Amino acid sequence: MHIPDGFLDPFWIMVTYAATIAYAVVAWSKIKGRLTQEQIISVSVLAASIFVAQMLNWPLPGGTSLHFVGGALAGILFGPWLGFYIMALVLAVQTLVFHDGGITALGANIFNMAVVDVVIGYYLYRAATRAISETRKARLTGAFLGGWLGIVLAGLAAGIEIGLSPSFPYGVEVSVPVMVTWHAVLGVIEGLITALVVDYLYQRHSPIVEAAAKVTVHATA
Amino acid sequence: MAGLLGRYRGALLAVAVLLILSPVFGVVLAEKVGYHEPLDVAAEKLGLEEHPIVEWTPFSDYTVPGLPDTIGYIVAGAIGVAVILGIGLVAARLTKQ
Repeated sequence: MHIPDGFLDPFWIMVTYAATIAYAVVAWSKIKGRLTQEQIISVSVLAASIFVAQMLNWPLPGGTSLHFVGGALAGILFGPWLGFYIMALVLAVQTLVFHDGGITALGANIFNMAVVDVVIGYYLYRAATRAISETRKARLTGAFLGGWLGIVLAGLAAGIEIGLSPSFPYGVEVSVPVMVTWHAVLGVIEGLITALVVDYLYQRHSPIVEAAAKVTVHATA
Repeated sequence: MAGLLGRYRGALLAVAVLLILSPVFGVVLAEKVGYHEPLDVAAEKLGLEEHPIVEWTPFSDYTVPGLPDTIGYIVAGAIGVAVILGIGLVAARLTKQ
């Protein structure tokens, strides 16, 4: 889902950079001075794990492929503000060190995967754990739904951005159905992985869960 | 400071295992089966083409100059992990306990 250089027109480059910077400023104001060394180390370990997980591309029959994105996972564990910085770090390293995603599209890529995916994952998970109470079943359900819908809506956002960029007048009518349909199908795997990882981390009482539980910025979401 | 990472031995071990396995999924299978994300499919239908502005990194597409793609993929991944953990360690150092 990493948009390369050349796909976005200048208007959408500016809009997506502006939206991402605005979110980054708000997110920074929410987390500034509230994190411990332990929590920072914990989020960097999660970021490194997501970075490597994204390297595992799964080619599928029919000529398409997917890889785990992890935005919902970051949001579920660390909330919408810190989750944003986890994914933004991953995406910035991918772009600046490995040219994975364009520099002109970095604003859009961060918006799609570090804002949309993270926020949707976080709120769906919270809704499920509130509705079913904080049980293992609720965590699995919420994480699956968050992982699935997060990636579908991130795909929708990318489809709108690239669909509205070319002078081709009906771009969105082409790009949005392709992106949403494929991600609705492939997103099931993202949802399953998100649910299994969240469940595993909670069942094992991982230090990542421990650090995340102490992050007080969730409450101000 | 790096001792703080000690608590995450399990996660870092999983990262190392995934790194070693990564060329199977990121290089070998990708070359055999083909690698087209939905974004590539949508872009093709729209007639969009990638136009890199400038090549700013020697590790483009997770390659390392002089290394075969499979080994280079692992080394590139290790570089990425080191950069992310390094940024985390520096940020933690700058944070008051």
